Amino acid sequence: MSETVTPESDVAPLRKRFLDNPRPALLWLVGALALLVLELGRILGWVKALGTGVKFAVMTTAALPKWVGGNVESAVADTGVLPGRLEPVGELLGSGVVTVLVFGFVVSVFLSLSERRVTRLLRPNMPSYRRLTVERALLTGILTVVSALMVLTPIGGLVESMIGFLTAVLDNISNQAPTLTSREIIPNQGYRSPDGSGWEGTFLGLSPGQSWGVRVAVVYAYAFGWLVWLWRGYNVFREQYRAADWTPRDDTLDRFSGHLWGLFGLVVVFSFVVLALWAPAISTVPLEERSNEPYRFEHQFLDDEDIEGNPLTDGSGDLETVRHGQANLYSVSKGKGQNVGLFSYDDFDRFSPLGTTPSGGDMMTQLAHGARTSLIIALTGLGLATLIALVMALLTAYYKGLVDLLTVVTSDTIVSIPLFLLVMMLSVIFSGSDHPLVTPLDGGLLLAMVFAFAFWPGLWRAIRGPTLQIAEEDWIDAAKSYGQTPSKIMRKHMAPYVVSYTMIYASLLVGSTIIVTAALSFLGLGISEPTPEWGRLISSGQDYITTDSWHVSTVSGIMIVFVVTGFNALGDGIRDAIDPESDIGDGDAAAAGGGG
Amino acid sequence: MSQQIGTERGSTDALVQVRNLKTYYDEGGLFGGQPVRAVDGVTFNIQEGETLGLVGESGCGKSTLGRTLLQLEDATGGEILYDGEDITSYEQDELLSWRRNAQMVFQDPESSLNERMTVGEIVREPLDVHEWKTDGERRQRVQSLLETVGLQREHYYRYPHQFSGGQRQRISIARTLTLNPDFMVLDEPVSALDVSVQAEIINLLEELQAEFGLTYLFIAHDLSVVRHISDRVAVMYLGHIMEIGPTEELFADPSNPYTHALLSAIPLPDPGQERDRITLQGTPPNPRYPPNGCPFSTRCPARIRPSGYQDLDEGVWSQLNTVREVLRERQRADRTIRERIRGSLGWETRFGDMNDTITELFGEFEVPANVQEILDEVARRANENDEEAALTLLNDEFGSVCDGVDEDPEQSDSELQFYTVGSTDRKSYCHRHDSEYREPGPVIEDRSIKEHGE
Ligand code: SF4
Repeated sequence: MSETVTPESDVAPLRKRFLDNPRPALLWLVGALALLVLELGRILGWVKALGTGVKFAVMTTAALPKWVGGNVESAVADTGVLPGRLEPVGELLGSGVVTVLVFGFVVSVFLSLSERRVTRLLRPNMPSYRRLTVERALLTGILTVVSALMVLTPIGGLVESMIGFLTAVLDNISNQAPTLTSREIIPNQGYRSPDGSGWEGTFLGLSPGQSWGVRVAVVYAYAFGWLVWLWRGYNVFREQYRAADWTPRDDTLDRFSGHLWGLFGLVVVFSFVVLALWAPAISTVPLEERSNEPYRFEHQFLDDEDIEGNPLTDGSGDLETVRHGQANLYSVSKGKGQNVGLFSYDDFDRFSPLGTTPSGGDMMTQLAHGARTSLIIALTGLGLATLIALVMALLTAYYKGLVDLLTVVTSDTIVSIPLFLLVMMLSVIFSGSDHPLVTPLDGGLLLAMVFAFAFWPGLWRAIRGPTLQIAEEDWIDAAKSYGQTPSKIMRKHMAPYVVSYTMIYASLLVGSTIIVTAALSFLGLGISEPTPEWGRLISSGQDYITTDSWHVSTVSGIMIVFVVTGFNALGDGIRDAIDPESDIGDGDAAAAGGGG
Repeated sequence: MSQQIGTERGSTDALVQVRNLKTYYDEGGLFGGQPVRAVDGVTFNIQEGETLGLVGESGCGKSTLGRTLLQLEDATGGEILYDGEDITSYEQDELLSWRRNAQMVFQDPESSLNERMTVGEIVREPLDVHEWKTDGERRQRVQSLLETVGLQREHYYRYPHQFSGGQRQRISIARTLTLNPDFMVLDEPVSALDVSVQAEIINLLEELQAEFGLTYLFIAHDLSVVRHISDRVAVMYLGHIMEIGPTEELFADPSNPYTHALLSAIPLPDPGQERDRITLQGTPPNPRYPPNGCPFSTRCPARIRPSGYQDLDEGVWSQLNTVREVLRERQRADRTIRERIRGSLGWETRFGDMNDTITELFGEFEVPANVQEILDEVARRANENDEEAALTLLNDEFGSVCDGVDEDPEQSDSELQFYTVGSTDRKSYCHRHDSEYREPGPVIEDRSIKEHGE
């Protein structure tokens, strides 16, 4: 075979293609940076929140060994094998073993995902399976030693204080950094100037309603800007740098961009996600000021009414200060004349675009933060469920046999428990104890875990067929015939075909999670106060639906319908784009999602 | 004169030696039961640099055999010696490095390439797996291989979707070549392609064989393609190799009754020539329940008949065969308890009355009284739901060595074995080559004349 061909005749690798023609990419990058800087403060805030989430996950995992160790210890103590004074040894042993096991698992997953083999540099000729084993042992050992050092020596404290320092620096930056959509730049909480000439403290002296409108418009314009810019970036890549002039993905995108129903879904989902991400900016008033700690924050307004409530027209009103909590008492929407409806101001000149809640809170604020809650629950719960379902589908389709059978039995068992019953059971169990899982989002995280547990079997069932079909393809056998490892076969040759199906079903299930969450809150289960939640909004307005305070339940109800429809439309769109001939019934997953 | 093939030659130049290889599926599954005997004890050699054609009807186990040779299926028994080493006993690491030597081209070009990867990624994956040299060298090699198989270097960044079936098969071939293998299993590599493209791919395969000194196992059901490309041919039926030998000799003068039947299906190039087409009765048996004795015995046109019934009508023989199949079918069928009770009470079950079946089958023939008597007894036993006994009787009376019945225990070994036939190194798996019996060829001719009354 001739291998003396000059490299010039090749299509160059991506790095070289970039170096040859860096302009379009750099231009795009500059634009992206500009966009980033505009909202740097908020984006760093998200990063921080994500960090907190990751930290929470790590801490919970880290507590696992101790927890299991504790159980082992008590089990050992029960058998009476160890004398009482040796109990700490049992605990140490238990948590030690579990730690090593957890590390071993993490390391194996990590190694099967990574391409590079460190020991290849040292021992290039070691057979690859043995190398894998050696590396697993090595890495697990290193991890164990490092964590033992952290726990048992002052190094741990040092590292902790370093992390604390870094976090403080990040905090500082994110507080200083510019944020286009912040309340400081576009404020909307102000008061009428006593001379009747307009508003004080609002954006350009506009009314609170107008300045709020400006801020929301800026938020959506900014988010849309990102969308456009990302699409542009993809096109720049496609036209300037991609070596292939056609990929299967191009067809998929083409089909999707011609799919009106799917585009509608995309728009709705996009709006929903923006609403959730920018909830603090879209709220008319910060959540903690008006609802969470209403007696800590004050509100200034122009008191220009006399005792009978007739407006003083001579401009003799005084600036007054009231605590939000007090003001809320006069701004409830409970029907019978007590109502602050859509796009109206209450007696304290506080603007409520969607009216107020029966307890005097601001509907828009509640709705925006409620969207956040729903999104977090849907993402965590379905993210986990999808991950489990995908991994199980790949494993069962690749190995078949006993693994498959066991999974069928397990999933059938789980599916047979009605979802509501499961949630009720778990909330009874957990609400009594102050388990760390209950605190985040006032039970929202726990709910997400329950969803993950309850939804993966349905998802797995739904994608099992397509996965089994893919596992029969000849390219799988081809990969086996030159010795590709099972984990890579599953990832490279099976997963890309299955992920799309999983996404379709997951997007259909988002609707289910939102509905179930709302239904649970409606019943007084699930997420408790003060975390805002749409279902609780509906239930709180239920009594006033026939009065002039109809907006409480109606607006939040319509939002749910809208968002759920949007996700379903998006799912349909993706499905048609991926596989125009396919006929994936949405009955399967949706039925499993319906649960109780 | 007879011997096992394995002992032939010094076998120093045999690249692959297969010894009594068995591949069963669903073995001891959840509900016990019979395994599917896809490959049921085959023995042959593949010489270095030759092309061994493997032919047979679909479902005869030829693909499974090919896949077992590449260790895509685990062998249930027997050995596969590659360069003298048994690869079925390899550890993971040994197997991985052995895999460089042997590759496979698949039948369906639509299914053999992962559509989400570029041609370059597809072809270089074996190199990545075996960590061959550096990134750049891998790309170089893949691109030059694309040229070798008649594609262009620029195709590296294309997707399989952009290629025709023939081109996709070329990509597939390029992938098999990356690791410089010695041995290739070609599993019907051209049967999914247009006839014009078939020739191109066959030529490419021949060129590559000459260039790289490859050894091929060419699996196909298209006999003319096999005849063109193979040095030797093995004929497979129901998990067994029925005949194996040099291509031309085997095609010109088949020995085994099954080879006769298979070849009679090819149209002769000269339309003036006539050849009787042997129509085989029925379908191949279920490999889960292969017949006793010779695997071909249920359909064989030359089946040895017991000496007592030499002048029975051809039609009667074939109907006797049918009766046996019906009984075997009934024996395997699952019966509910209710059906068993109904049967034992003499009530009608869904299996019907065996007497009716027999009357229907033999209605148009003249059945001698002694045969009719046996048939009546068979029917009676079957109606009592004792198919076992009915079959035993049927076999005792009408069975022969072909059915694993030893008529005359002293005389010869009823165990079926390979007989060397023809002038060169050719083997056939049939009792008829024993000196006791007539050769299959003349027998088939006689019987078909009798049947058609020519
Ligand atoms: S052994 Fe008997 S049944 Fe088998 S091929 Fe030979 S003649 Fe036919």
